[in-house]
Amino acid sequence: MRTTAPLAAFVLAAGIALAAGGRLASLSPRLPPLSDLPDTPYIGQDAALAAAGFRAAAADVAWIQLLEYAAGGLPRWPNPPGRPYAHAEALSRRVVRLDPYFHGAYLYGAGLLGWFGAEKHPDQAVALLQEGLRRDPGQRLYSLYIVALAYQKKGDVSREIAILESALDDPRTPTLMKEILANLFKSRREYAKALALWRAILDDPAQASQHSRARGQIREITALERAAASPAGRRQ
Amino acid sequence: MGAILAVFDYTLREHVRRRAWLSTALFGLVLIAGGLVTSVLAADQRARMMLDLGLAAIEAIGLVTAVFLTVGLVLSEIESRAVFLILTHPVPRWQYLFGRWLGTLAAVALGMAGMALLHLALLAALGWSAGGYGLAWSCSLGSVAMMSALSLLLSLALTSEAAAMAFAGFFWLLGHFTAEMSFVADRSGSPFLRGLILVFARAAPDFARLDYRDALHGGAAGGAWAAWAAVYALAYCAACLALAVQLFEQKEF
Repeated sequence: MRTTAPLAAFVLAAGIALAAGGRLASLSPRLPPLSDLPDTPYIGQDAALAAAGFRAAAADVAWIQLLEYAAGGLPRWPNPPGRPYAHAEALSRRVVRLDPYFHGAYLYGAGLLGWFGAEKHPDQAVALLQEGLRRDPGQRLYSLYIVALAYQKKGDVSREIAILESALDDPRTPTLMKEILANLFKSRREYAKALALWRAILDDPAQASQHSRARGQIREITALERAAASPAGRRQ
Repeated sequence: MGAILAVFDYTLREHVRRRAWLSTALFGLVLIAGGLVTSVLAADQRARMMLDLGLAAIEAIGLVTAVFLTVGLVLSEIESRAVFLILTHPVPRWQYLFGRWLGTLAAVALGMAGMALLHLALLAALGWSAGGYGLAWSCSLGSVAMMSALSLLLSLALTSEAAAMAFAGFFWLLGHFTAEMSFVADRSGSPFLRGLILVFARAAPDFARLDYRDALHGGAAGGAWAAWAAVYALAYCAACLALAVQLFEQKEF
């Protein structure tokens, strides 16, 4: 009796654990398999962190690397000559496949691909946002940006701006999108609106890294506004 | 019950005396250093990064502390002959083992609670207010409890702290690949290989399914999920402890 009681307890507990484990597997959220990660030089780093059970933390590291890339490139993965954001799609997908609920990464990645820099990739941006709609449903900004990109493809900048402007009140709107919108206003000579956006970025202590850029833009746009208000500017 | 409480009490005091709480201080340093780095680098995602980094650090430090404390929990008392003194009292062996494990888990849980308080204070300072923290923390505690029960079993089966630690690390990694192992088993042509992989997949603690930290940003988990997760963690701990008791009962002192 003394030796069989623990074994009987083991059989009972193991049976319950197996049954509960099966039920748990059917109820658990399904994360994308690691084989879905895009081919980047960081695959070993991602796999090691995910293997240790720190997938969200791996996505955070990938996010920082995406920001670093957008700010000037990654020394370990240089861009091909003449293509400044060639790896933006792979690096964005890397973040959202490590953590499919990383709302900010879908939006930031779409902004980078669809609106940032000279070489734009609206189709890649739409594909990323569609992946967001599929894997991270319930985020209204994904569909809003898809519509804005559709207007961009049609060349209807007014409607594109109106859509992006309607998303400004949402706290999840990335600062990158505010900067893109400010640049769109600037290019359309709507200086007051552009200035308001840059001032909002400057007033946000969480955006300290963008403050020097905001100050520079405010100086430049103020000068443009003055020039436009001068008699010579009005004649133009 | 009285014997379990007595063993639990002295185990908890022993860990507090041995400064197991130092892990909380280590966590504080990790968190402050991490906070300084992320506040500069993370742009719009400061609170999210602080949340992920903190929860990951709580679990990692809790896990390492639990494994280190558990593998030597009984072996050190056998080596120092202290176990003879305890077992000369009318303490059934299972109660001794259970009290020791529970006391160690309580010490680790206290440390993890201290870390969580520090973490929540920092998150509040960053303006984070979403829910799910308690469940994520509880799942981490569940994982730590499972690993400590498994480590205790391994230490008694292998009678070596180093080997027990190595195998605990192996099972920790395996526990994050149970879904992939089942997939490989399904694709395997050899019935023997399939059976072997499935045995490992079922024996390893299924941390991938129990993990709420990595799904926290996806929204609230259902009540059914949380209930099954609790049942799974408790049953897994019970299975490991029952086998550990079986091994301990067979030891000649």
